[in-house]
Amino acid sequence: MNRLHKMLSAPARRWLALPVMTAILSSSVSAQEVVNRWGPNPPASSYGHKFDELFSLITILISVSFLIMLAMLMVPAIRDRARPGKKASFDHGSSLHDKRFTAVVSVIVFIVLDLWVLKVAMEDLRDGFYAIPEVSDPEKPIYQVEILAQQWAWNFRATGPDGEFGTPDDILSLNELTLPVDRPAVFNMTSKDVIHAFFVPDMRFKRDVNPGAVNEGWFEPIIAGEYAILCAELCGYAHYQMHGKIRVLEQDVFEQWEQDAAALALAVFDENDTEAHWAWEWQE
Amino acid sequence: MSGDHIHPEPTSFLRKHVFSVDHKVIAKQFLWFGLIWLGIGGLMAMMIRWQLANPGDPFPILGQLLFPRTDGVLDPATYNTLFTMHGTIMIFLALTPILIGALGNWTIPLMIGARDMIFPTLNMLSFWSMFAGGAVAFYSLFVPLGATEAGWTGYPTLSTTVGAQGTGETYWAVTVFLIGASSIMGGINYMATVIRLRAPGMKWSDLPLTIWGLFFTSVLNVLFVPVIGSAMILLVLDRVFGTQFYTPATVMSGGGGGDPILYQHLFWIFGHPEVYILILPAWGYVCDMLSFFARKPAFGYKISVGAMGTVTLLSAVVYGHHMFTTGLSAMLGESFMLLTMIISVPGEVLFFNWLHTIWKGSLRLTTPMLFSLGLIFVFGLGGLTGIFLATISVDIFLHDTYFVVGHFHLTMAASALFGVFAGIYFWFPKMFGRMMSERLGKIHFWGSFTFITIVFCTMFIMGYAGMPRRYYDHTSAEYLRDLQFLNVFASYSAFALGAFQLVFAYNFIKSRWWGEKASDNPWEVGTLDWTTPTPVPHFNFAEIPVVKCGPHEFSNPCLGPDTDWICQTEALPAEKELV
Repeated sequence: MNRLHKMLSAPARRWLALPVMTAILSSSVSAQEVVNRWGPNPPASSYGHKFDELFSLITILISVSFLIMLAMLMVPAIRDRARPGKKASFDHGSSLHDKRFTAVVSVIVFIVLDLWVLKVAMEDLRDGFYAIPEVSDPEKPIYQVEILAQQWAWNFRATGPDGEFGTPDDILSLNELTLPVDRPAVFNMTSKDVIHAFFVPDMRFKRDVNPGAVNEGWFEPIIAGEYAILCAELCGYAHYQMHGKIRVLEQDVFEQWEQDAAALALAVFDENDTEAHWAWEWQE
Repeated sequence: MSGDHIHPEPTSFLRKHVFSVDHKVIAKQFLWFGLIWLGIGGLMAMMIRWQLANPGDPFPILGQLLFPRTDGVLDPATYNTLFTMHGTIMIFLALTPILIGALGNWTIPLMIGARDMIFPTLNMLSFWSMFAGGAVAFYSLFVPLGATEAGWTGYPTLSTTVGAQGTGETYWAVTVFLIGASSIMGGINYMATVIRLRAPGMKWSDLPLTIWGLFFTSVLNVLFVPVIGSAMILLVLDRVFGTQFYTPATVMSGGGGGDPILYQHLFWIFGHPEVYILILPAWGYVCDMLSFFARKPAFGYKISVGAMGTVTLLSAVVYGHHMFTTGLSAMLGESFMLLTMIISVPGEVLFFNWLHTIWKGSLRLTTPMLFSLGLIFVFGLGGLTGIFLATISVDIFLHDTYFVVGHFHLTMAASALFGVFAGIYFWFPKMFGRMMSERLGKIHFWGSFTFITIVFCTMFIMGYAGMPRRYYDHTSAEYLRDLQFLNVFASYSAFALGAFQLVFAYNFIKSRWWGEKASDNPWEVGTLDWTTPTPVPHFNFAEIPVVKCGPHEFSNPCLGPDTDWICQTEALPAEKELV
């Protein structure tokens, strides 16, 4: 601190003190304020908190980096302004010492800023986004959903009680998906026409829905409630209206709902309505 | 050989001002062309922000004129056209021509001591190919069945006849192709000129860093623009001739046919180098200008060149980070994540070199210097927030939200634009023989700097809250209704940002014809461009200069107490004595 004190001329200190104090105070207060006021809702999926945690970690790391950069920018911009008689120091920065400095700083930055984040992200992905549960997993029964996107709606298909797709008891719905709480929901997604993206912000989930191929994805809702579905890939002029909702129900409520919905599906099943028979073989 | 390399001075008006092969005239053509499109693209941005702040209200003043059928209201299709063309125009018709076309053409021969580009006719073709691209882009706004509306990325199948019936989409692909051709011609020319026409004595390590930035950009242009060209040919074939490169059969009918993801690969193999194509020249200008106005040598010249070269190399292998949610395999995704992390290292090295350059200098805070310092700030913000997006597990949430919009606007729009402004303010005296007003320039800088930061930082918050990009009216989704305040705030900040650009327009026009006459070397720098008389004669250099020292020998103690700079054509005094 003493060295910093000596480094700066008296007017520079006066110039710097106020903005620095204000910046430090307001940034710590306002960061929390921003999260509370504007941040996304608390995560409602089993892996959602990992996004929030890593987001915070990166925010801290880059804030520190940014403040260092800002200081190195502001100090000369204020202290070293040209005035009569002022001579710039002469330094090409090409000595061995400078090259070593660059190398060392690069390694430190790479380890702290990049490798650390990379490691956390890989762990998160291996336990979360990439760890798509399989049908055959005996420990955790999954809930399978086939999603067919189109301009501009979401078609959902669940197997119904028989556990098979493409049978008359399949539960079909438009723009509203019902899921059980505490059970991994696994999706097979494709599109009829253009590329869409299935985005459920509160579950911290997003995956593109491509025509001509099936994409997989999953999340496990851990809190019952209603959640928004948004389309996140430009899909035409009503892109902004392509939203829907997910209802997450408690286990017993869900079972009742599933029975009722399957019974209704059987009752209204129409052999000739080929438009409605769009199921495909489950892929994992 | 460079001494013989010149064409005779033209006498007819057409050959002198329109179909000129003189690099200085072509530079000015690129400049005016780019500035006009910058205005059009900026106006489109204002309309986009208007719609987001006041969904469904008629656009004031110009609305009635531009959208008479809807009484001045932007309908969703028009809105999609606007953001598509805003992106296309800003990247291909505004930043590319000014940053690379105008400033590249101006600086390369003058800074390396050549009389013109090595292929003057190719240079002219490069401009007119770009001009044709601009003409097609403009025409595409008025064609039957509607202009393009598939986003500047033009992803199929939205951009094939499945999603876009309007012929505007075809014209859009033609536009990109023509501008691509222009960039390739320019790139070849720039590279060959720098390699072959350097003045005698000018070693690679005597090149100003401006030239290095442009050189690396040219390498990327020549290597990667052909990829987007081929992607556009396939798109046009799909749209016009009924091929199915990008159109798949549905999963239910058994799949097969084309693959829309193929386009994404082709697009981003080009698209990621493209962001470096736009930022490398700006980095080059800033490297030089920080040194010029801090009156200190550029810190770590060779390290900076190495860092820019490394970025050039790595830019080819990180493109997959644009496709993390597309359905890339885990291994591929993680590889791209690692590579993307690695590319941040040369960026950080450049930052430290810039900050070291100004440390303990004697800073002349002229307008070009302010824009250079501003670039460090906005690029710092943009670059650091890139770490969120490089991290797959975080990108899954942030992908295609306003967070991405904020990030890439700070890196490639704000930074490249600050590079453009720094360059224009800096070379204007040599180009037009007059000074731009410093007072207006500073007003322009502080307004732009303040509001560009506010606008795009607000977008980070919107994206973090989950607002997807390219939404005509976010208030239609209940989830996003709370964000209205932020949108209004960002919009009015954007209008202020737009208003400050009018100061620049006024300053530019006024100074061009009525500005104070500039001396030959108003900034007191020693690179070869400033050794020429103002206005620069047709032959640039009456005699090809011989280079005797580096471009950044500022405040060298051997210069004595009276001066702090030396021309590249002079030997440093200490060495003189040795001779």
